[in-house]
Amino acid sequence: MTAVRCVDLCKTYRQGDEDIKALDHVSIEIEQGGFVCLSAPSGGGKTTLLNAIGGLDMPDSGEVWIGNQRIDQMSKGELAELRLSSIGFVFQAYNLIPVLTARENIEFVMQVQGVPATERAEKSKAILAEVGLDGLENRRPAEMSGGQQQRVAVARAIVSRPALVLADEPTANLDSKTSDELMELFTELNEHHNTTFVIATHDQRVMGYAKRLIRMLDGRIVDDIQQNAA
Amino acid sequence: MNIVVRLAWRNLWRHQRRTWLTIGAIVFSNTLLVFMISMQFSMYGLMIDNTLKVFTGHMQVQARGYKDDQKMRQTVPEIVPLADRLRADFPAERIAARGWAFALASSEERSYGVGIYGVEPKFEPQVSSIPGLIKEGRYLAQSDAVEIVIGAVLARNLRVKVGDELTLLGSGRDGSFAAAVATVVGVFESGVVDVDRNIAQMPLRAFQDTFFMEGAGHEVVITAPTLDAAQVVLPEIAAALPPDSGLVVHDWDALQPGLKQAIKADMSSAFFMYAILVILVAFSVLNTQLMSVLERTHEFGIIMSLGLKPGQLGRLVMLETAFLGLVGLILGAIGGAIVTAYFSVNGLSIPGMEEMAANFNLPPRVYLQVTPLSMIIGPAVVFLFTLLAAAYPALRLHRLHPVEAMRAN
Amino acid sequence: MRMLPVLTRLAWRYLWRNHRRTIIMLSAIGVGVWAMIFMTALSRGMVDQVIEDGVAVLPGHVQVHDPLFLDDPSVANRILIGDAVLSKKFGPADFKAWASRVKVPAVIASEYESRGVTLLGIDPVAERPFGYLDYDDVDGRFLADVDDDGIVIGRKLAEKLETAVGKRVVIMSQDPNNEIADRGFRVIGLFTAEVPAFEEGNVFVGKKAAQKMLRIGDTTTEIVFLGDNYRNVEPTYEKVVASVDKTLAVSRWSEVATYLGSMLKVMDGFVVIWMVVIFLALSFGLVNTLVMAVFERVREIGLMLALGMKPSSILGQIIIESMLLLSVGLLIGDVLAWATIQPLRDGIDISIVAEGMEMMGAASVLYPRLYASDMILANVIVLFLGFLASLSPAWRASRYEPVEAITKVG
Repeated sequence: MTAVRCVDLCKTYRQGDEDIKALDHVSIEIEQGGFVCLSAPSGGGKTTLLNAIGGLDMPDSGEVWIGNQRIDQMSKGELAELRLSSIGFVFQAYNLIPVLTARENIEFVMQVQGVPATERAEKSKAILAEVGLDGLENRRPAEMSGGQQQRVAVARAIVSRPALVLADEPTANLDSKTSDELMELFTELNEHHNTTFVIATHDQRVMGYAKRLIRMLDGRIVDDIQQNAA
Repeated sequence: MNIVVRLAWRNLWRHQRRTWLTIGAIVFSNTLLVFMISMQFSMYGLMIDNTLKVFTGHMQVQARGYKDDQKMRQTVPEIVPLADRLRADFPAERIAARGWAFALASSEERSYGVGIYGVEPKFEPQVSSIPGLIKEGRYLAQSDAVEIVIGAVLARNLRVKVGDELTLLGSGRDGSFAAAVATVVGVFESGVVDVDRNIAQMPLRAFQDTFFMEGAGHEVVITAPTLDAAQVVLPEIAAALPPDSGLVVHDWDALQPGLKQAIKADMSSAFFMYAILVILVAFSVLNTQLMSVLERTHEFGIIMSLGLKPGQLGRLVMLETAFLGLVGLILGAIGGAIVTAYFSVNGLSIPGMEEMAANFNLPPRVYLQVTPLSMIIGPAVVFLFTLLAAAYPALRLHRLHPVEAMRAN
Repeated sequence: MRMLPVLTRLAWRYLWRNHRRTIIMLSAIGVGVWAMIFMTALSRGMVDQVIEDGVAVLPGHVQVHDPLFLDDPSVANRILIGDAVLSKKFGPADFKAWASRVKVPAVIASEYESRGVTLLGIDPVAERPFGYLDYDDVDGRFLADVDDDGIVIGRKLAEKLETAVGKRVVIMSQDPNNEIADRGFRVIGLFTAEVPAFEEGNVFVGKKAAQKMLRIGDTTTEIVFLGDNYRNVEPTYEKVVASVDKTLAVSRWSEVATYLGSMLKVMDGFVVIWMVVIFLALSFGLVNTLVMAVFERVREIGLMLALGMKPSSILGQIIIESMLLLSVGLLIGDVLAWATIQPLRDGIDISIVAEGMEMMGAASVLYPRLYASDMILANVIVLFLGFLASLSPAWRASRYEPVEAITKVG
């Protein structure tokens, strides 16, 4: 089953006097349960692609499908609904809402979804244990390390069991040990829950974990290889 | 331009929206202050002028005690010769003699009690607005004719017209029964019901004859060219009175004690309002400047590590505030001047206020005066408090440690 | 609605993230609201007093006259229905209190002086509930009944007339045929009144004595009715209109004393203007605070949008934040106002401007009046206008594009 399908995506930005082609006729298909790394140098278009898949940014032309829904023509409200129900996000940094505790951050999405309080508490407790954050649930982001913050972000992204998790440079602010831990967590979730992961990164270590590696340059896919997980 | 000045000016516009909102608060308060202060000045002036010109004048010579008791016996003897002498000695002042008595005025159909002033027909128009308000007939002419002018409301109530006769019954100076029949020669209308209902004037000589005054009267009214000139000339007039005569000169404040106090009472409530406005502006500025300092902690850390002292940074913040205040001051003063100028041309009338205004002898439409003082005093105070409000953020800079500051985000 | 708890929690936490700014803003709102209520309480106190004193010296919340009487207060314009008929018409239980009285301008003369006064021929028993004079606080004694043929005058008037209890004065007025009506009265009592003009301007005699002197049989010039209080005279007014002869004029006190009536209206207008002006002065700071609060968390707003929160929830969050800020400020202002007005309930001595206050008709002690309705008005104005003022920054916050917001550098 196809989780994500992009057909002939184009997106051009204007920077100063220059037009930059962030996406130049990009087409990809990602199977449910895939573990995909998008790798590209800065400005290579990986974040733009990720944002297009997440419905955060609209391509100039082409189609984006999530499952069997075409999303590039959805309204903002429909997109918000879609993100809420079926996509989890992990961003590079500033991932958490600083005025909420770890547990509240995790519950945030569920609260927006309207999950009852008792169910929220159960789920968040379970997920905190799963990502190894027992005992830190009442800390605010500022009271946690970068790795811990990213774990909270991951917990939040997966707590409502989305079919698709999009991560944009999730390890950029982490040291190597913490990066490995995070990637192992991703792999585990991918295997246990069959969650599709699409990770934009230029970290070699992260690419090593991917089942499929897509390299981009100047808005084009230059390489698309299946690899065995390390 | 000095680099610090340029830096301050540029910094001010880094958050345009915030800066404009803060300036907005300053301009709002300044405009309001200019308008309200102008309105106050104009109204106080009018209140004083209008109240004094009806009757009171700038000062009066009276027998000691008359002001409070208003008894017939408390007279100024030989009042016309005294007034003549004062007129000769003080050519710049306008001076008129008066007597006052209470009488029951009866027409064919009605009887009402009225206060009757004996006046000098020749000089009264110089000290009182009433002779100029005759709307039917004429004002008094000769000093000895037994004629009378009355207010419009009284004429209506008594049902008399010009040419009709009124019988006056009252007590004379010695308490004896006094009576006269006077011909109504004129009717005045001041618009103030109390004045138009309760007051009549007759020539002083006829008055003296009717009420057995034997040449005496009750007050010599004196009006100087300006209110300020009145304060200067008052002691000279006091010195010119015959010694040991028991006569005193009262200034307008003593004659109308309510007037100054009403102004004072109004001023104190206005002062409260102004103070609140200024405080609220100060809070606005404090908020903005504190935020602007806090968000630049990192930047200030860098600047300090380059060798600038906290005091210099403080001065930078004060300079920014001064610019902020100055823009607010200029725009506010202009805004206030425009509003005030509009009402100085078109007049200001507050619906529903007419009656209250009349109580203080104010016309229903007040034309505001634009004076430099009323333009600048409010904005200047606001400017001062603006600078004061920035003192806390500026002083906080002394606690700044460059390394810690640079680590701040 | 489901989002309300989440949004409220977020708003509340964000409010305290920048506690310095919030505290400054709360101080400003607190001071502003305090000023709104405090100033209003002082002005209300003054105006109420003026009006109450005014209403007290023109006793009767609803008054009935001959249509011509108010402009031409002569005995010729009296009410031609006599007391005998009136007392059958109005039972004692029909109104809180009612009385008919003779009220005409007159001249009072002692052996030395004459003065103009208002002569009131009253039934002291029927008029007691009107409460304009403390019968017991009289040097000598007050009138005993309608037949009393003594006269009670003000202390200040007695001074000016150089008369005293036990001495005789002459009252002069006119009868319906404009013949001079006069008679001598013995001064039996001297009263004191809060308002000096009342003390100098009114003299009281028994109603029958006045009727006899003016040769008007058992007729009077005005019938007066007491309502529950001066702010609520409509029920009494309508009852009186329904029950009296159509040829008579029925007036509320505010129509008899138009100055006082307009003062009450002006006061109500002033209160609203004052509150709105204070709010406007505050609004710049409020909007500024919200703009800054949004500005410094653009990225977090983007995050929330990216996670699937709807723009309307962002809008709601900012508005709730603004409402919370205002509510806490209001609470501070309300408590502050209450705490500062409470100790002043016994009055503020403003005798240094006493005669100025008298010119307005007020006494020299100012009693602040804190009305629940004024307090509610202040709170409603702040919340309502605050809501409007928050719309623009909240709207802008909800319009961010998630990507741009997240990638924003700063």
